[in-house]
Amino acid sequence: MQNIFKTEPVEFKPAAALPAPSSTVGPVAWAKANLFSSIPNAVVTTLVVLGLISVVPGIIDWMFISATWSGASQEACVSDGACWVFIRAWSQQFFYGSYTDGQLWRVNLSLLLLFVVIVLSFTLPANSRLKVSIPLFLALPFVCIAILDGRLLGLQFVSTDLWGGFSLNVLMAAAAIIVAFPFSFLWALGRRSEMPLARSISVIFIEFFRGVPVLALFFMGSVMLPLFFAEGTNVDKLVRVWIVLIFFMSGYMAEVFRGGFQAVPSGQYEAADSIGLGYWQKTLLIILPQVIKVSMPNILATFVMLFKNTVFLLIIGIPEVLQTLLTALSNSNWLGGHAVEGYVFVGAIFWVCCFGMSMLANNIEKKLDTSHRN
Amino acid sequence: MFKQKTTEQIKSASRKTDSGSYAFYNNPKYRGMIYQALLIFGLAYFFYAIISNTLGNLEAAGIKSGFGFLSNAAGYDVLMSLIDFDSTDTYLRVFIVGFLNTILVSILGIFFATILGFIFGVMYFSKNFIIKKFSVVYVETFRNIPLLLQILFWYSAVLATLPGPRDSLSLGEAVFLNVRGLFVPKLIGEGGSGFVYAVIAIAIVGIFVLRSWAKKRQELTGQQFPVFNASLAIIIGLPFVAALLSGFPFIVDYPSLQGFGFQGGITVIPELMALTIALSVYTGAFIAEAVRAGIQSVPHGQTEAARSIGLKEKKIMSLIVVPQAMRVIVPLLNSEYQSLVKNSTLAAAIAYPDLFNVFVGTALNQTGQAIETIFLAIVVYFAVNMLISFIMNRFNGNVELVGR
Repeated sequence: MQNIFKTEPVEFKPAAALPAPSSTVGPVAWAKANLFSSIPNAVVTTLVVLGLISVVPGIIDWMFISATWSGASQEACVSDGACWVFIRAWSQQFFYGSYTDGQLWRVNLSLLLLFVVIVLSFTLPANSRLKVSIPLFLALPFVCIAILDGRLLGLQFVSTDLWGGFSLNVLMAAAAIIVAFPFSFLWALGRRSEMPLARSISVIFIEFFRGVPVLALFFMGSVMLPLFFAEGTNVDKLVRVWIVLIFFMSGYMAEVFRGGFQAVPSGQYEAADSIGLGYWQKTLLIILPQVIKVSMPNILATFVMLFKNTVFLLIIGIPEVLQTLLTALSNSNWLGGHAVEGYVFVGAIFWVCCFGMSMLANNIEKKLDTSHRN
Repeated sequence: MFKQKTTEQIKSASRKTDSGSYAFYNNPKYRGMIYQALLIFGLAYFFYAIISNTLGNLEAAGIKSGFGFLSNAAGYDVLMSLIDFDSTDTYLRVFIVGFLNTILVSILGIFFATILGFIFGVMYFSKNFIIKKFSVVYVETFRNIPLLLQILFWYSAVLATLPGPRDSLSLGEAVFLNVRGLFVPKLIGEGGSGFVYAVIAIAIVGIFVLRSWAKKRQELTGQQFPVFNASLAIIIGLPFVAALLSGFPFIVDYPSLQGFGFQGGITVIPELMALTIALSVYTGAFIAEAVRAGIQSVPHGQTEAARSIGLKEKKIMSLIVVPQAMRVIVPLLNSEYQSLVKNSTLAAAIAYPDLFNVFVGTALNQTGQAIETIFLAIVVYFAVNMLISFIMNRFNGNVELVGR
């Protein structure tokens, strides 16, 4: 007998979904939604596109197509375009200043060391990361100075008057922020301390260095600081500027760290207390690693500010990259008006570095963001 | 700020100090005292060393100290001054000239930076893709290039390439732009102009009265009053009527080409233009970020709720989103304005005669009194920043969340 209820088990197969209506996908729909959603929008889009069409080809033509790329002197630049020969001829000065020829590997080595230490501080295994990278960072400025100066290592002596160019901007900013780190940490601790005197001194210090224009600080470094040292002491100009940058930076970073300290949940402090850790054990082993982690985006943002501010060194006559550019522009062999090329070039270098760092800061912030608000 | 207590302080205050069971140096109270005493001794020694070194150095260099130099004749001219000045005037007058120039560039910079910042900040939320990207490009470009480079760029790569006075760019034979600067007509009041100024003052007071009246009426009766249009009518209409009544007691002083330069009108020197443009564009990028952050901080539910009770899109922006966004924006604006004032010291790079340039730059070089000049300049910048902070905090009080 045939069982009519017994049928082959049929798997339920939904029909394939229909594609979205053609009016909602594809470039046309995208343009309709984002460019021509209303009449005013369409008008604005058209105007902007027309404006871009009238400007952009000219810029591209100036920068690339009719630009002069090769040659040795100003005479090579006969076309209407940009004269990149100028940048090319001065590129060594832009990057290394007047650092002695043949010794440039020392600048490269310093930059390489900086790069290696930064990479290490991100890639080392988590349990040894801070223990290894903090001493490396703190030793780095002094190692770099020894390499660049050369006297300690028995290399050819290169006076600080010759240091310059973009590498000086980078190394100066890095050296300042690294040394400012422990100081700013102390100021932030002082500001949170329960000792009233320590607290007020920290507050006065931090607010002073945040409130004074950087330029005033540089002037203080170049004209007031020599007065403070005992008679006859001659402190190198770069070292004085370095000291100023360290103080300036530690004022800002102290506020960053204060924010970090506040962001660490109070349960962490209490847990550390409850297992009987002392003040420094608690601060260094439990709190500091968390503070550094949460304030990383702000530290990077502060570093970007410092890095941009290293250009101010030109006002007190230190040959950093912009000062080198001004020197190059007034050179008698290059009086052809290459100001735009020069500013575009230096601006582009800074833009790439600063934009890269702020992208990195954004990424870290996104990684740290555990809230699900959006 | 000295009185804020951290959790640790509160805890230690409530902790019982049982001094019998452990050594006194383990008592946090005594320990704190010892540390602070050490700190004071260290600082005292530090300052003693600095001061004695400085006095010794000053004596060795033969530099006088004290503020007596302020009443000496300066002996140099200043490129631009808002008050009468010539080279026989005192250093004190140099100080005032520089101060006024700093204030001028700061006010101009703050004004234009705020406008640029709000325009580009709001543009970020445009539905138009191109407009949105335009705002992103503006912010990311100008925020990431050092300000000093921008100042020099505007000054020596843009403004210096403008045509000479004879072929200057002109707008209706009234406004001229050339390599020497921007020349605009000037309005000079004659007898009877005091009446018009008084009417302008009355109109401004009238707007505030009207606003508070309209607000009160709306709260009582629910009826709305077109405050914005009425204010516009008052501020433009009243002075216009007054000027007509008094027979327009003004003459317009147009700049005109005479010989090699322009005479008459108001001259905006290229240094001031370059500094104002660079400061406003740079700070404007930061303000745009602040505005964007402020608007993004308003939860989307607020907009949806406003739509659901039937508010128009325009009203949603002005009544719901902006007031809430301002709570985030105003404190950020405060710090941006302060850094703009501090950054105006970069005038030194293009020789705009601001306080820092004429006083710390030139006066310091001539007198050698580094400590006094830098001290005076720093005090001024602190005072200006505190004033900005005060005003912005008052403003912040208006937009803050009112707890009920």
